[in-house]
Amino acid sequence: MIGRADLFEAIEYLRREGEGILARFARSKRGVVYAALRFEVVFNRAGAAVGGEPRDSSESEGAAYSVSVHVAGPTAQVGFGQTGAEIGALARHPAKLVAELRRRLGEAYDRARFSARKKADLIAHLGAAANGLRVAQIPDREKVRDDIDATFRRDPRSLSTDELKKISLDASREVAALGDAIAYQAVAAMTELRREIFIDTAGTVVSQAYAFSQGDCYVVAQVGGGHQESYDSIGQQRGLECLSDGWRGELMPNPDLARFCVNLASEARELAAAPILTPPDGEVVVVTDPHFNALVSHEVIGHPCEADRALKMEAAYAGRSWFLRSLADNQLGKAVASPLLSACSDPSLDGYGHYRYDHEGTPGRRVMHIDRGVFSGFLNSRATAAVLGAEPNGSARASEGWHVPLVRMSNTFFLPGETPPEKIIAEVEHGYYACGHQIPSISESRENFRISARRIYEIDNGRIGRLYRSGSVIADSKSFFTNVDAVGNDLRLIAIPNCGKGQPMQVKRMSNGGPTLRSRARLKGN
Amino acid sequence: MRTLAELKSFSREAARILAREKDLASYEIYCATAEHRIARLNYTSDIPSRGLEEFKSLHADGFQLRIAMRRDPHEVGAASEAGDFTSDSVRDALRRARSAAVVDPHFPGLPSGPPGRKPALSEKSDLARVGDGAIAAAAWDVLDGAIAAFAQRSANDRYGASRIEHPGLIIGGDVSVIRDRIAIFNSNFAEVRTDESAHFNASVTSIIESLDAKGTAGALGESTAAMRRAARVLGRDAVRRALALSHGARPAPGKYRVVLGPQPVAEILNYMVMGSLTTGAFHAASSAYHGKFGAPVMDPRLSLADDAALGAGAIRRRITCEGIPARRVELICNGKLVGLLSNFYDAHRLLTDEHRAEKLGGCAPPKLDFAALSGYRLGEGGGRRFDASPGAAGTNVVMRTRGGVADRELVRAVGDGIYVGRIWYTYPINGQRAGDFTCTVSGDSYIVRGGEIAEPLAPNCLRINANIADVFEHPLAVGMRPHPATVWGSPEAYYVPAIAAGSIALAEVAAT
Repeated sequence: MIGRADLFEAIEYLRREGEGILARFARSKRGVVYAALRFEVVFNRAGAAVGGEPRDSSESEGAAYSVSVHVAGPTAQVGFGQTGAEIGALARHPAKLVAELRRRLGEAYDRARFSARKKADLIAHLGAAANGLRVAQIPDREKVRDDIDATFRRDPRSLSTDELKKISLDASREVAALGDAIAYQAVAAMTELRREIFIDTAGTVVSQAYAFSQGDCYVVAQVGGGHQESYDSIGQQRGLECLSDGWRGELMPNPDLARFCVNLASEARELAAAPILTPPDGEVVVVTDPHFNALVSHEVIGHPCEADRALKMEAAYAGRSWFLRSLADNQLGKAVASPLLSACSDPSLDGYGHYRYDHEGTPGRRVMHIDRGVFSGFLNSRATAAVLGAEPNGSARASEGWHVPLVRMSNTFFLPGETPPEKIIAEVEHGYYACGHQIPSISESRENFRISARRIYEIDNGRIGRLYRSGSVIADSKSFFTNVDAVGNDLRLIAIPNCGKGQPMQVKRMSNGGPTLRSRARLKGN
Repeated sequence: MRTLAELKSFSREAARILAREKDLASYEIYCATAEHRIARLNYTSDIPSRGLEEFKSLHADGFQLRIAMRRDPHEVGAASEAGDFTSDSVRDALRRARSAAVVDPHFPGLPSGPPGRKPALSEKSDLARVGDGAIAAAAWDVLDGAIAAFAQRSANDRYGASRIEHPGLIIGGDVSVIRDRIAIFNSNFAEVRTDESAHFNASVTSIIESLDAKGTAGALGESTAAMRRAARVLGRDAVRRALALSHGARPAPGKYRVVLGPQPVAEILNYMVMGSLTTGAFHAASSAYHGKFGAPVMDPRLSLADDAALGAGAIRRRITCEGIPARRVELICNGKLVGLLSNFYDAHRLLTDEHRAEKLGGCAPPKLDFAALSGYRLGEGGGRRFDASPGAAGTNVVMRTRGGVADRELVRAVGDGIYVGRIWYTYPINGQRAGDFTCTVSGDSYIVRGGEIAEPLAPNCLRINANIADVFEHPLAVGMRPHPATVWGSPEAYYVPAIAAGSIALAEVAAT
């Protein structure tokens, strides 16, 4: 037995035995061309408080895995099958763990083999009408073997649950002290340690560990007839120290949890008393701050740069991409934005979306999406890279151990320019300043968006004036990017804890952001 | 998946262990086993594709226990464990629950009450036993039907689609089967209570990029036979709808009279209304109906209910995830807000809220009772999760109408306007309480002229910016029949009519 206190030891067991398990499985079944196993252990502590009173606390430790099998059928058509499961403490028993993995590998194999056969039948039956049913060969790659540790000052496993209860309760009490204008507030804090391992039949064995700590605050403020709901999160790939002490990182600083919650609640109180935006008709000059631009970079750059989305694989759920109409008709190498604007994804940065290898064992690297206004690249997986004729860039990630990897953002952001934000605002004769993102809504290929801001200020003669609430920025995406005429030097990344994608939904952490930008857009109130 | 017998046996053993702990005032043991199998479709005529992109499944078994301490009945803790249904794991979870315990002054204790009726054997869905082969075969049947329907298009080909070398046909969606079983016991119950359910959900989207056309088809149901029947027609229907919607018009922005079809009504209800119809939202002062309990909130022709035992419903729940017998919840009756979805904790919390008079409003009846009939512990995809806390969720959400008319009459009532068949990315843009929403008209839509469907509307060319009042408060007309509709990512099944609205603001989305 691995030991009740040592669920993480299952990772070490699989590091020793996992390749053998996969190899024996592949030899025992006809037609297996590839198989992979991903296994993850998570230790998590959390606390929550509502209205200045304790609400909840938890300590959990779990284990989960996903297996994937590719099988070539009799006519060389390849079928694909996967299975994922949460197995928890069963992972402490090697014999049970191995039996479980074998059973599920067999299940995935049967699915893949059945699928290969049905595909061959359909092609035989429909002939040229089913021309799309050909799969780009996934090139072989060099095998990778690596082991990456987590970074933290305070190991999440060493904390007492009382610390999580206290930090959330203290923050909630400070918010409650702001008075009756705060009609409702909820604060949550969590810290966790994740360790994962990826093994495939091509010889790759990669293990990685991460610490995550996150604080969330939801506030409803009421002042007179006005109200404001605000929600925001802070998070780092660190231990609880980033919430208890704050974090002074250059790209993604945050105050301590209590200060963060008080700031959010104070703002909500101020907004509840502010008028609803009544914008003018037509386009106006809009300056957007880094927090607002986090959602722009997320929704209008990041998602349509995901190759699976661009290749129409998400068309039934999350739509397509304005960057690719077809393999022959797409924006690669074409101007999609002002020459002042560049955007990229970079998992190597110390943000909430940091990692070294993706969940196919491919090293992650910086991917330029927009390079001085020219569209230059997609995030991809091994399979989507093969379709695009590109190198895999390590962007296939799953949110939990039991899920299939999808193409996901890491740290996706607009690159900074040289202009101080104060100068960007000072140059505006009349316009608006949108600060802090709220809710997005984008069109099917992300070619149009409406994103609400937490605060919108009027700018008159270079001065920030009146504050409004319930204001949104609406624009056609290419027009907005093309009209960018100032890019700030104040790059910030914002932790995004809840990006949803896939069927079933996978909720993933990442970071997005950018500097202050100035462009043109329409505004909307209610 | 674990059997119900295994879950019951474990629950009894866990309860025996907990009953022996002298420091516990009360306890609850909740076990769940769930499986979600998804055959995801991806066919693209001009990009290499797999057809059945993935056949995958997610399995989760485990239990959660909740304890209240004898020294303070408000001191409550919870812990969960995956996969390990043993006495040792109960003791380990108990240790963690003790460590996690907090004194929540609003903890109302654990639910009590009679168990409700036992299900007849015939009530169980045969999807509980469906094999992988049937699901994969259904997925390939969808693809076969879709590709064949497109190949046959030249018979009625007014756009020369058959002569286009790269038609840009996309078939996406999935055939999914969700099954779950639960067992729950708490120290107020006389016996372990169980439930199980299974349903399928199939959703297909067809886009023909060369024709700027999009069509969809979907089905929900409880039997393998229904899944097979659906699979034979969904792909074909989605493609035929797309072909009928080719080269749609792009109208100018403005305010329009609009028929909202069942899918848009379901999506607006899901994202904009259902979250406001909970005791939790009223307590949080975040409901769009803040201060309006008991007051008219919709047109008097509209009524809305959640029904876990709906005869034709895809979702079957005999008990909630708190062990309470599931029953129909009337939410809106002839336009008036009369009920709320609730779990046990939130029902109590709202009733004891010192600000409830202001939050519920002056029309609330003096004697209030929010029955905890909607406490479900759901994961992504809608299956029951062992480690989730009870939230408030719907099951089969049904909108019925008085004085409803046939769908053709709705179009006639609009006169000149738009028929919106599908919307996308619908969110409360200014927060839930404001009721403002925005979305795009993503497909299955038409221009209406002279009270008749005149021509297709190009997909993704219009953005709706409206408020829920624009849809539900003074419609021009309401449909007479509820139609089934699904919303991506939502655990509920919807049965809703189409509604004709008098003035909806539509903004232009520029063509790319």
